[in-house]
Amino acid sequence: MTTSSYEQPFPRPRRSLIPAWALQWGTWLLVCTLIVGPFIPLFYASVRDRPLYEKGGVLTLQPYRDLFGDSAFWHAWGNTLVFAGLTTLMAVAGGALVAILCTRTDLAGRSWFGRLILLPILLPSLGMVLGWLVVWGPGGYLTQTFHDRFHLPTIAIDTIPGMALVEASRLLPIAFLTCQAALSRADSSLEDAARSAGAKPDRVLFNITIPMLRPALLNAGTLIFTLSIAALGIPLLLGTSNNIVFVSSYLYNTWTNASTPDPGSVSAGAVMMLLVATLLLLLRNKLLGAEARFVSVGGKSGRQALLRLRAWRWPLAAILAFYLVGTTLVPVVGLATMSFVVVLTPLVPPWELATWDHWRVLWEDDAFRRSIENSAIIAVVGAVLTTAFVALATLVAHRSGFRFRGTLPFLMLYPRATPGIIIGIGFFWAYLLTGAFGDFMRGSIWGIMLAFCVRNLPLAYIVMYPTLARIGEELDRAGRAAGAGWWRTSRTIVLPLLKPAIFASFILLFVEIINDYDPAVFLVKPGTEVMGATMLAQFIQGLVGPVSALALVQVVITVVVLAVGAKVFKLGVAGGEHSA
Amino acid sequence: MPEIHVQNLVKQFGDQRALDDVTFKVEEGELFTLLGPSGCGKSTTLMSIAGFQNPEAGRIAVGDDTFFDATGKVAVPAERRNLGIVFQSYAVWPHMTVFDNLAFPLKVRKLKRAAIRTRVLEVLELVEMTPYEKRYPHQLSGGQQQRVALARALVYSPSVLLLDEPFSNLDAKLRERARAWVKELQRTLGLTTIFVTHDQDEALSMSDRVAVMSAGEVQQIGTPEEIYRHPTNRFVAEFVGRVNLIEGHVSGSAGGGVVVDVADSPHQLTVHDGAGASGNVTVAVRPEAVTVMRLDDRSLNGTNTWEADVTTVAFLGDHYEYEVNAGPLALTVQSSRRVEGDRIRVHIPPDACAVVE
Repeated sequence: MTTSSYEQPFPRPRRSLIPAWALQWGTWLLVCTLIVGPFIPLFYASVRDRPLYEKGGVLTLQPYRDLFGDSAFWHAWGNTLVFAGLTTLMAVAGGALVAILCTRTDLAGRSWFGRLILLPILLPSLGMVLGWLVVWGPGGYLTQTFHDRFHLPTIAIDTIPGMALVEASRLLPIAFLTCQAALSRADSSLEDAARSAGAKPDRVLFNITIPMLRPALLNAGTLIFTLSIAALGIPLLLGTSNNIVFVSSYLYNTWTNASTPDPGSVSAGAVMMLLVATLLLLLRNKLLGAEARFVSVGGKSGRQALLRLRAWRWPLAAILAFYLVGTTLVPVVGLATMSFVVVLTPLVPPWELATWDHWRVLWEDDAFRRSIENSAIIAVVGAVLTTAFVALATLVAHRSGFRFRGTLPFLMLYPRATPGIIIGIGFFWAYLLTGAFGDFMRGSIWGIMLAFCVRNLPLAYIVMYPTLARIGEELDRAGRAAGAGWWRTSRTIVLPLLKPAIFASFILLFVEIINDYDPAVFLVKPGTEVMGATMLAQFIQGLVGPVSALALVQVVITVVVLAVGAKVFKLGVAGGEHSA
Repeated sequence: MPEIHVQNLVKQFGDQRALDDVTFKVEEGELFTLLGPSGCGKSTTLMSIAGFQNPEAGRIAVGDDTFFDATGKVAVPAERRNLGIVFQSYAVWPHMTVFDNLAFPLKVRKLKRAAIRTRVLEVLELVEMTPYEKRYPHQLSGGQQQRVALARALVYSPSVLLLDEPFSNLDAKLRERARAWVKELQRTLGLTTIFVTHDQDEALSMSDRVAVMSAGEVQQIGTPEEIYRHPTNRFVAEFVGRVNLIEGHVSGSAGGGVVVDVADSPHQLTVHDGAGASGNVTVAVRPEAVTVMRLDDRSLNGTNTWEADVTTVAFLGDHYEYEVNAGPLALTVQSSRRVEGDRIRVHIPPDACAVVE
C-alpha cells in the first residue's frame, strides 16, 4: 500500500440520535426519583395530623410525640438493639471462623463447606424462619422429641437470644464472604515473611492473619447489624408467643391494628428507623474507606502454607456439617414434612398423618395460587428491568463524564441499608400522592414489583461494579477515539464485556425478588398477593400447613434457579458479592 | 496531515498542578515525543489532546480545528476529534475478532460492508497481520496485539496519531523491533504523531523532536541531539542519559564560551557554551565525551586535561566504565579503550560541555 492510498478521506462519524447527556440525565433523575422519592411522602406523612389523602391537614409534631410517648416503642427499640447486637456477634464470629477454616486450614471438605455455607442467605428468609419454627419452635418436632424422649433442653428460639441465633444463621454468610475476600486479597508474602522469621503456622494465624481481618470484621458487622435491625419475619413468627416486639413488628402491629387508619406515628417510627439505618450506612462507608487502606495489593494468593489441623481435621468438619444440617437442612426438611402432614408431632408417625390437603389449598385457594403466579411474574420482569436499569446506571456512575455521577454509587447502595418495611410504607404514600399513576400501581402487581426492585437494586450494583472495575477504561476510550459516542461505546464494547455480571445479577435478583416480602406487607391487596406476604398473613391466620407448602415452593424455586444459573452461566458463587 | 498546537495548558488535580502552562507545536509529519518520569504530566497532556480530560486553561488545535479552548468554552468530545490512539494496554476489544476490531471505527462512520472489508484488509496488510484476521485478541501475542491496536488507530486515516507508552508491555528484544517498525511506518505514511514515553532510549531513537517534561512543566524542547548534547537545565541533563555535573564559578570568557573555576579544585574548565554566564554555574559532561589516556600519553594536552586516580574500572561488554578522581573532582567516564594504570589522564573536550545552571 502506498502513502497516497492510506490517506483516504473518510466521513466524520455522525452524532448519535439520543445524545449521551440526555441518557445520563434521564438515568440519574430516575435513580433519584426511585430511591429518594418514596421517602419524601413518608417524611411528610410523619409531620401531619392526619393521613396524606385527607384534606385540610396541618403540620404537627404530634405523630412523634405519640410515638415517643409510648413506652412500648422504646421497649421495642431495646429488644431490637439487643437482638441485633447478639446476631452481629454470633454471625461475625461464626463467619470469620468458617472463613479461616475454609481458606487457611486443611479442613476436610473445605471447598464444599465454602459453597454450602452460602446457602442460608440465598434461601427465602421467611420460609426458613417457618422451618425453624416447625422443627425447633416451642411445639416443634425436634424440641418435643428431645424433651419427651431424652428429657433434654433445646435452644428456645422464641427468646431474644434464640431469635438472634436464627437470624445469625441466615446472615453468617455475609461475614464469611467478607472475611474470605479479605483473606484471599491479603498479600501472602506478609504471612510468608512471618514464617521465615521463625513463626509456626498457628502463630502466623493468630498474630498476622486474624489481626489483618479486623477491618473486614467491622465492615461485615455493621452490615449485619443494619440488616438485623430490619428483621420483620422473626419477631412476627417467633416473638409473638412470648410477646417480644421489635421496632419493625411494633410498626407493623400499630399499622394493622390501628383504630384510625394509617396513623402518622408509624410514619414517624419509619423515619426514625430510616435515620438509624442511614447513620449505619455512613459509618460503614467510612469503615470501607479504612478497609481499603488495609488492603495489601498485589499479593498472589493460593500458595500459602495451610495450617495443619491434624487430629482436628475431621472433628471440626463434623461440627461444621452438624451446624449446616441443623440450621439449613433440618428446617427445610421440616417444611417439607409439614407440608405433607395434618400435624407434625413426634407422638404419631408422620406417615399416619399424611395428607395432600395443604398442597391442594395452594392450587384451589385463589390467594395462594395467585401469589405464586404474581411472584413469578414480578420476579422475572423485575429482575430483567432492574438488571438493565442498574447496568445503565452503573455505566453512568463509573464510565461517563456526567456531572453528578459521584452521587450514584451512594444512591444505589442506599436501599440496602433501608428496612424493607420502610420502603413499603414509602411507596404506599408515594402511590397515594401520584394520582392516576399511583392508583394504577396500587391496584396492580407492578406497584409491589417496583418496591421490590428498588429494595433489591443494590445487589445488582454490587454484582456489576467489581466486574466493570476490572474492564480497563482504555477499552472504552479506544471506542470513543474510534469515533463512537458514549452510548454506542457502552452498548458495543462495555456491556458485552459485562455480560457475565449481567447474568449473575439477573439470577440473584430473581431469587431475591421472589423471596422478598416485607416491602409488600403494606402494599398487597386482594388480587396482588405475593408469596411472602401471603405466607405472613396466612400464618397469622393459623394456616401453617399450606404456608409450609408455599415456603417449600419458594425453597425449591430458589435452589433450582441458583443451580441452573450456576450451571448455565458458570457463575462461580451466585451470591458471591452479597457481602459488599 | 496537519500540525498540532498545544498552548498554555493548565490542569489541577486537587492541590497538585498536573499541567503548568504546557505549550508546544508539533509540525506536520513529525514524530514528537513527550518524555518524562511518571507523574510529570505527559499522559495528562496526551489525554487532553485525545479529549479524555479537560484542562482548566489553554487551547488545543489540530490544523484549523480547535478541539479545546478554555476561554471560548470549546471542548469537542473525544469521538469527534478523529484522532488515532494506541493505548499502553493496547485496549484491543477482547470480545471482537481482529477484523471486527478494525471494522468498528468504519462502521461508526457508516461505510458500506464491502468498503469496510477492503479497507480493513488493506490496513491489516500494512501491519503484516493479514493471516490473523479471524483471531480473537487472547489468541495473539503482545506484539501482535500491539499491531492490531495500531492498525485500528490507522484504519480511518486519523488526522494525527497518539501513542501512549505503546512499547512498555513488550519484552526488551521485541521492543527494539517494534520501535524500528513503528518509526518506519510513521515515516512512510507521514503521520503527525505524538508519542509518550518515560524511556529515554525510546525517545532519542525514534523522535524528530522531544519535549522533556517534569512536574507538569515542559523543561526543554529540541531534537534528540540537542536534548542530549545541550541540555538547558539540570533536570534534562540528569533525566536524559548519564551525566557528570561539575560545579564552579565563571572566571572569564573564552572563544564564545566561558572559563569555569571548578569548585574546591585547582582545575579550570574551558566550556564552549554558556556565553554571557556569570557567577556560580553547573556544567554537564556526558561520561562518554570524556577521553581517557595513559599518564605518559601526551597526544592531548593543555585545555581541560587533568591527571586523575582510577578508583574502579568495570567492564560492560561494549565499553569500560571508569570512576576517577581528578583531585577532589569525581568523574564517571565511559570509554571503549582499556587504559592501564592507577593514575591516568582525562580530557574533557570544551564543546562537549553544557552549562545547565
